[in-house]
Amino acid sequence: MTDTGQTPGARLGLKNRTTSDENVRQRYRKERRFKLLGQLALGSAIGMLVFLLVTIVGNGYSGFFQHEIALKVHLDPARLKLGDKRDAESLARTSYGNVIKDALRSEFPDVKGRTDRRALSKLVSKDADTAVRDAVLANPEIIGTTQTIWVKATDDVDTFLKGHMSAVEQWSPDVAAKLSLEGDRVRITAAGSAFRDLQPADGSSYLVSINGGVVKLIDVAGGVAKGEVLVAPRDTATTPAGAWHISAYATPESDRRLNDKAIAWIAKLQAEDRVENRFNVSFFQTGASTAPESAGIWSAVVGSFLTLVVTLAISFPIGVLAALYLEEFAPKNRWTDVIEVNINNLAAVPSIIFGLLGLAVFLTLFGLPRSAPVVGGMVLALMTLPTIIIASRAALKAVPPSIRQAALGMGASRLQTVTHHVLPLAMPGILTGTIIGMAQALGETAPLLMIGMVAFIVDIPGGFTDSATVLPVQIYLWADSPERAFLAKTSAAIMVLLAFLILMNALAVLLRKRFERRW
Amino acid sequence: MLDTLKATTLPSTEVTGLPTPMLSAHDVCVSYSGKQALFDVSLDIPQNEVTALIGPSGCGKSTFLRCINRMNDVIDGCVTSGTILMDGRNILEPSEDVVQLRQKVGMVFQKPNPFPKSIFENIAYGPRIHGLANDKTELDGIVEVSLERAGLWKEVKDRLNQPGTGLSGGQQQRLCIARAIAVSPDVVLMDEPCSALDPIATARIEELIDELREKFTIVIVTHSMQQAARVSTQTAFFHMGYVVEVGATEKIFTNPEDPRTNGYITGRFG
Ligand SMILES: Nc1ncnc2c1ncn2[C@@H]1O[C@H](COP(=O)(O)OP(=O)(O)OP(=O)(O)O)[C@@H](O)[C@H]1O
Ligand SMILES: [Mg+2]
Repeated sequence: MTDTGQTPGARLGLKNRTTSDENVRQRYRKERRFKLLGQLALGSAIGMLVFLLVTIVGNGYSGFFQHEIALKVHLDPARLKLGDKRDAESLARTSYGNVIKDALRSEFPDVKGRTDRRALSKLVSKDADTAVRDAVLANPEIIGTTQTIWVKATDDVDTFLKGHMSAVEQWSPDVAAKLSLEGDRVRITAAGSAFRDLQPADGSSYLVSINGGVVKLIDVAGGVAKGEVLVAPRDTATTPAGAWHISAYATPESDRRLNDKAIAWIAKLQAEDRVENRFNVSFFQTGASTAPESAGIWSAVVGSFLTLVVTLAISFPIGVLAALYLEEFAPKNRWTDVIEVNINNLAAVPSIIFGLLGLAVFLTLFGLPRSAPVVGGMVLALMTLPTIIIASRAALKAVPPSIRQAALGMGASRLQTVTHHVLPLAMPGILTGTIIGMAQALGETAPLLMIGMVAFIVDIPGGFTDSATVLPVQIYLWADSPERAFLAKTSAAIMVLLAFLILMNALAVLLRKRFERRW
Repeated sequence: MLDTLKATTLPSTEVTGLPTPMLSAHDVCVSYSGKQALFDVSLDIPQNEVTALIGPSGCGKSTFLRCINRMNDVIDGCVTSGTILMDGRNILEPSEDVVQLRQKVGMVFQKPNPFPKSIFENIAYGPRIHGLANDKTELDGIVEVSLERAGLWKEVKDRLNQPGTGLSGGQQQRLCIARAIAVSPDVVLMDEPCSALDPIATARIEELIDELREKFTIVIVTHSMQQAARVSTQTAFFHMGYVVEVGATEKIFTNPEDPRTNGYITGRFG
């Protein structure tokens, strides 16, 4: 410290010129490093978001679509047990299952045996009944005629056609093929390496679509393949190059929910252009269902909407009034401090606790209906209140005190000051906080499980006291379902939920813009 | 037009040659959370004159000014005692209605604080909440007269619907003055109205104050001796919460009685 060899500047801790240049360079380096880190953080955040969106959209996209099959339905009044009745009520009441079964059987007359026939009738969804009924009700004249009606395929068929059941490889050999019958077996002869030295014993299934029929290969030796007929070909005429094709299914038949016969039936329908992947309108019209192809999101959407209406109706006025009172009117003393601390604590309480509270108070004590949006909304309102109060208080605090002074100095009462000046200026912040709270409530699952909103709701809820479920609970239920088709539904439902969240945020921005136009 | 506006609120009988006190304060004490900031302040504010409050920072000038329109009420922990008589009533009485009081005693703040609304709305707000205009034309008239008096009408008459916050600092301050006088107050309080302004804008405001004294009683807090000397007829020197000396401005600035006043105006402390 008392070193005498130093210059006065050095003794004071001042650095000479060169080290201060070094200082500047170091500062720039630090800033660059900091900027880089920031950009990295932002980049990784964006990357994760994109990854998330791509996965969800990639998975969920197919959930909005559903394969449908064109059935040629003969609307036989006898099979419909209609007699002479043609009135709307009888038409609506009767079952169309028979004519649908008939339609499938007449399509595949070779199918015999109980198991096969049941498998055949399982190609189309139980919803087919509704589709046919709707067609008949729209035009009762068609009774007695044969109509082509598009009906939904079952989830297994849909899953298979979307390629989720087995890896498929399909090729069309560029040589002609000759077909010959050998008892109940067929022999297909083709020049060259049309059969690619297939090994049908390796567990994969190889189906050849040829002459309107489907053959499952059993044995391949060079250019000669032997197979079993699954769907009978029209004839044994020689098939030119390109008019026949081979499909290889990698997953063994025993591991699939559709056997080779069913795949052959679908292949035949496909060959006749009678299978289409269509936009699944009913996804946006129906509620829960055990059959994935008939399950829809609408009852959950309506449930969410009703629940949020209750939440908003309770938490917005109470939250804003509480914030206004605490911020603008309440004296600052120990009690208001205690209240403030408790509100902040409330915001940190795990949401499931609110669910337990709802269960104990709203259901058990007050005897309100289980699973109802009104109770769900009340529970979520409890959860959202602290968020709204804190956001509103922050927004009110952000209004410059000079505005209050100006208004009070003009002789405005406290209430006038608040309603004329403070509240309009704080509104954008309050609305943003409210919408963030609402978005939180929209995505909340745990407290709703506690009050029974996890029910299997088929009907669209019609009011605040009907049993209902909400979007995130529906997603949770579907994600839990074993059927492969529900996977896509889950992602699709997540997309719907995200769409609503984006919509709400857009609304927040829009409202903020509108209010901010007042300077 | 100016006269009709004034006549509605002020009975024109009392104007006599003698300087009648508009306000008279007796033993006003103020403390903030137990810490006393004003000690027994007694002061008469003459009608239609400009009274300047001077003194070093923290001596209680703003505190006293805020007593006159009870703006101290909104400060937590602020306790006021004593009396301030106006029209024979003690305005410090808790039962006194502050809304009516503040209509009679307007205030202009240190930093211009127009409402984030249009110029028109800024002026029209006061008359509207006090119900001074019966219809749109009357309101238009009040806005025009107020802006005219504040010397702002020519500059803003074509942009009344534009935001008041879009004006320059000096214009904003004149807008605030126009807003304060739009409700025809008897007294206008100004707390360092020029401290955020450049010399030219300051000069305009000073001119304005000079014109306004005809219609209003003005109390102005200022840190500028020159300004106090230029605009006021009476000056009160505050020091550490006490009024040390009150008197005609000329006398205070040329021949102060108290050595502290002398020290302050000659710049030896403060
Ligand atoms: N809101 C308040 N809360 C607590 N104390 C205050 C408050 N306002 C003023 N004071 C105190 O009261 C005293 C007088 O303050 P005041 O603002 O009246 O001074 P001033 O003369 O206007 O000063 P300046 O010239 O700096 O504006 C100061 O000691 C100040 O600390
Ligand atoms: Mg002050």
